[in-house]
Amino acid sequence: MSVKAFELVPAVERDLLMGDKARINIECIECCGKHLYVGTNDCFIHHFLLDEVTSSKGKLSYSAQKLLHKYLGLKKPVAELRAASALERLIVLCDGIVFLVDMVTLETVPSAAGGGAKIRGVTAFCINENPVNGDPFCVEMGVLSSKRRTVQIYMVYEDRVQLVKELTTPEQPCAVSLDGYFLCLALATQYMILNYNTGASQDLFPYNSEERRPIVKRIGREEFLLAAPGGLGMFANAEGVSQRAPVNWSESVIGAAVCFPYVVALDESFITIHSMLDQQLKQTLSFRDGHILQDFEGKVILASTKAVYVLVPLPLERQIQDLLASHRVEEALILTEGAQRNIPKDKFQILHKRILQQAGFIQFGQLQFLEAKEHFRKGQLDVRELISLYPLLLPASSSFTRCHPPLHEFADLNHLAQGDQEKVLRCKKFLISYLGEVRSTEVANGCREDVDTALLKLYAEQDHESLLDLLASDNACLLADSVPWLEKYHKYFALGLLYHYNGQDSAALQLWIRVVDGDLQDSTRSDLYEYIVDFLCSCFNLDLVWKYADWALRKDPTTGVHIFTRRPVCKGQTQLNPDDVITYLGKHDQALLLYLEHLVLERRIQKEKFHTHLAVLYLERVLLLLSQLPTDEEKLTRARERLQALLRESNLYRVQFLLGKMENSEQLLLERATLHGKLEEHDKALHILVHKLRDFPSAEAFCIWASSSRDSAYRQQLFHLLLGVYLDGNPPGKSQTAAGGGSGDLEMAAVDLLNRHGEVFDAVRVLRMLPEGWSLQLLRPFLGRAVRASMHACRTSQIALGLAHSENLQLLHDRLKERKKPIFVSEKKGCHLCHNTFSEPSVVCLPGGVPVHTHCIAQRVRDSPTKRQLTNSSNHT
Amino acid sequence: MPETSKMKKPDVKVVLLGDMNVGKTSLLHRYTERKFKDTISTVGGAFFLKQWGPYNISIWDTAGREQFHGLGSMYCRGAAAIILTYDVTNWQSLAELEERFLSLTDTANHDCIYAVVGNKADLTDPTAQQSQDTDGMSEDQTECEDRTEPEVLSTSLTSSASPKQVTHEDAMALYGRILRYKGLEEKSSLPAEKMCFETSAKTGYNVDTLFETLFDLVLPSILRKRNEYQESPTVDLEECRGGSSKRARSSCC
Repeated sequence: MSVKAFELVPAVERDLLMGDKARINIECIECCGKHLYVGTNDCFIHHFLLDEVTSSKGKLSYSAQKLLHKYLGLKKPVAELRAASALERLIVLCDGIVFLVDMVTLETVPSAAGGGAKIRGVTAFCINENPVNGDPFCVEMGVLSSKRRTVQIYMVYEDRVQLVKELTTPEQPCAVSLDGYFLCLALATQYMILNYNTGASQDLFPYNSEERRPIVKRIGREEFLLAAPGGLGMFANAEGVSQRAPVNWSESVIGAAVCFPYVVALDESFITIHSMLDQQLKQTLSFRDGHILQDFEGKVILASTKAVYVLVPLPLERQIQDLLASHRVEEALILTEGAQRNIPKDKFQILHKRILQQAGFIQFGQLQFLEAKEHFRKGQLDVRELISLYPLLLPASSSFTRCHPPLHEFADLNHLAQGDQEKVLRCKKFLISYLGEVRSTEVANGCREDVDTALLKLYAEQDHESLLDLLASDNACLLADSVPWLEKYHKYFALGLLYHYNGQDSAALQLWIRVVDGDLQDSTRSDLYEYIVDFLCSCFNLDLVWKYADWALRKDPTTGVHIFTRRPVCKGQTQLNPDDVITYLGKHDQALLLYLEHLVLERRIQKEKFHTHLAVLYLERVLLLLSQLPTDEEKLTRARERLQALLRESNLYRVQFLLGKMENSEQLLLERATLHGKLEEHDKALHILVHKLRDFPSAEAFCIWASSSRDSAYRQQLFHLLLGVYLDGNPPGKSQTAAGGGSGDLEMAAVDLLNRHGEVFDAVRVLRMLPEGWSLQLLRPFLGRAVRASMHACRTSQIALGLAHSENLQLLHDRLKERKKPIFVSEKKGCHLCHNTFSEPSVVCLPGGVPVHTHCIAQRVRDSPTKRQLTNSSNHT
Repeated sequence: MPETSKMKKPDVKVVLLGDMNVGKTSLLHRYTERKFKDTISTVGGAFFLKQWGPYNISIWDTAGREQFHGLGSMYCRGAAAIILTYDVTNWQSLAELEERFLSLTDTANHDCIYAVVGNKADLTDPTAQQSQDTDGMSEDQTECEDRTEPEVLSTSLTSSASPKQVTHEDAMALYGRILRYKGLEEKSSLPAEKMCFETSAKTGYNVDTLFETLFDLVLPSILRKRNEYQESPTVDLEECRGGSSKRARSSCC
């Protein structure tokens, strides 16, 4: 589980520091930018300038240049050094005294007037790296003093220190760290958090500081790393909560620091490096006489008693690549994602994608396809990287080149599978499913041709059922690249589809025809012939239709004619001219017949030419069958039925022409009768039916058919005609003997006709026609019905008459009511002639409804003899 | 190897406590990886982040060893649920819960819920022996639970391969004492029948039920916590972005 995360690089060698003086040891270090300060046990401070040197091979080394060393004059070891760069001061702890020295000259800073620059009785101090105080020219410092159980907060200025806060602690503190208001303290028996602003405290956990040296290390905002019992490195935040799982150190840890995402710890002989992301030990470096481990602005510096080293983190990318190189995909991803906040966002995204892609390829190589797919998807892999692993799948025209540096170590699939064909197959199946999924997503943008062509090749090679779906739907397969591949795997049908998709219908048809004719082998479709017919049927290119229909018709006229009969009818598309088709079909009798049937019977095209043509074809067929011996009765019957049906139903064919054609045939009497009926030569028709065929039911049916769209008088006339034919008896030219039995039949037919269809006949005319000798009994049903009908008609008309009369009366009444309004006469109304009022009801009404006295009008009439107009009315009020 | 946190901030904390060797790590392992395998003594602690619907629940597995005892109260700080685990074949492990571990829970949330879990039930209880397909067991699980309760009595009387030293009643009694220790009314708290489990990390018996029951019970705690954050004046850009919920706290890089 090791990672090479860090490298130990010497910074200051022993001879540069102390030469050969054996008793001099390093006590403390401080690093501020390029300035390295080292405090020794002989009370010296050494100041070095530390330069990073990168060799041509990219290897980092340090060159230290000694600038100055200074004896502090206290004869005691320099316990701690801290730089306050903004103040240009070093804070020094030596002999229990904290004081300031100039960072450049290392001269002790004299106390300013009115304020001391020294703190006495100090055991340890720390700098607040996250001060609440916003003053950039002062440094906040937490101080532990040797005697009292107290923690003090000082402000350090250029030339003085100032106590700002003092807090008592329950026990003597021995280590301190400071962040914001929070002091993290190691007491004798436990760790605690103390808020120096509010005084609130929070116990963390017990720890025996006398047994083991406590570690209190601020690692980030309000978060500390603490040495815990059992050699644990515990994390605790200011609320006293542990948000990360602890790391497992050795019992004797001297120092620890965080260099994200690693926790670095130093014990007597090793540097251990744990990941904060998964708590695992990642690297161990041997380090003898380790003494100090501290981080300065992200730089981890170690010191043995005699020399100083820098722990240089290897670039994250390199660590990740190392992990990937040893196929530790999960760890690599954790490390990448863990580093997110340390890397600029855009850079991180690029890195993350690449790592995901690499991880995907590693898993792909291990045939862990599910995980690989997920990583490819997340890493937005250019799918061609994957396709390019499979030899020959990318089209020759593809501009793709693999990314550099390569995402994986495989030359191609064969290299990956090492000749294991089963592996190859599994990889191919994976690619099929993967490409199938991505081809419609944005992953395939910009390389759809490559993706679809690769998919087509795989489908063809693996005999995959989705090949046809791919080609039948919207696709970007490259024709030139796909043709040889499909031919290789005998996918001619599919190739035809591809031709079709690329607008090369002719090529597609030629190919398919060769398959149907057996020149090429492809069993994809057993019904390829029908497919071709369908294809031609819906083909817009009429030239193609004319070109290949002949082949289809020769193969199977019945199906082939579908090319013409099943063409979808849609607007804006050149329709086939039926005349052209009929001419084209000239040599394919059967197809022609089917096509004419389609035109006449299905599409009901009302054109004399087609109807006549069809009728002639029917007739020819019938005549052909009749001429064959022995006659196939069944076929003949069917052929005649069709002919008869057409002759009956259609009104467009040329009757005379057909009649002429069958004039000589004594066997087609029924058809001739029908034709005569069409010509309204009903007597001829009935003659044929009655005398030649002696088919009385047909004769009746003929009457009904011929009069079906006419009025009842027409029908009556026909029936009378038929009756006449029956009763006429012997047709001319028939022998007496045959007629004897025959006339009996005819009479019976006449009787049946009358009895069955009595209602159409005019009974009076019938009675006149009937021979005298017929018995009443024979005609009883007819006569009964006739009498009843006559009676019924008589009564019906009487009722109608009565109803009409009453209606007339009613109307008269209504008319009177409308026209005659009443005339009002009263005692208050005066006569128009004498102007006296009326005294009796009888008055005379003048035209216009004006009432006057009877005597007044009488007078008037007498006075003016010229106007003898007597209006006599007796209207009363 | 413990699962990584993947830097998500948990919404709520569940802590497994109990004496060493009662099977805390195995329980967590059975739940998260659906396997039972040999574990080594846990050092310090480990935690696993469980996605429960839209919430992140951190489950802390603590070290049972005396050496790490002092860390317990740190782990328990702010916990929403604590699983006190004992070994049904070891009376002392139950006693330790009360003597050593109960006081660690002082730092937990005031509304923290407690579960008392007797592990290694497969050693004493035939119903827990049958290896359960942990994926399809949610339904029979409830049945099992109902069925085992009367049987606990009988199995505790009959001698099994390992004698059962702790009965379900003992565990329920402890639960009652926990409530008293916490100063909680028994009536207003979750009932002992619901919060005392017997499980087997080896067969998977009752393990999913245990964790899922607890997760469902801590949901109100999550919601309350979320509401608190909603009231805080800090705008959490992470949260606004619609990603996983993170604490509304700015962090300095």
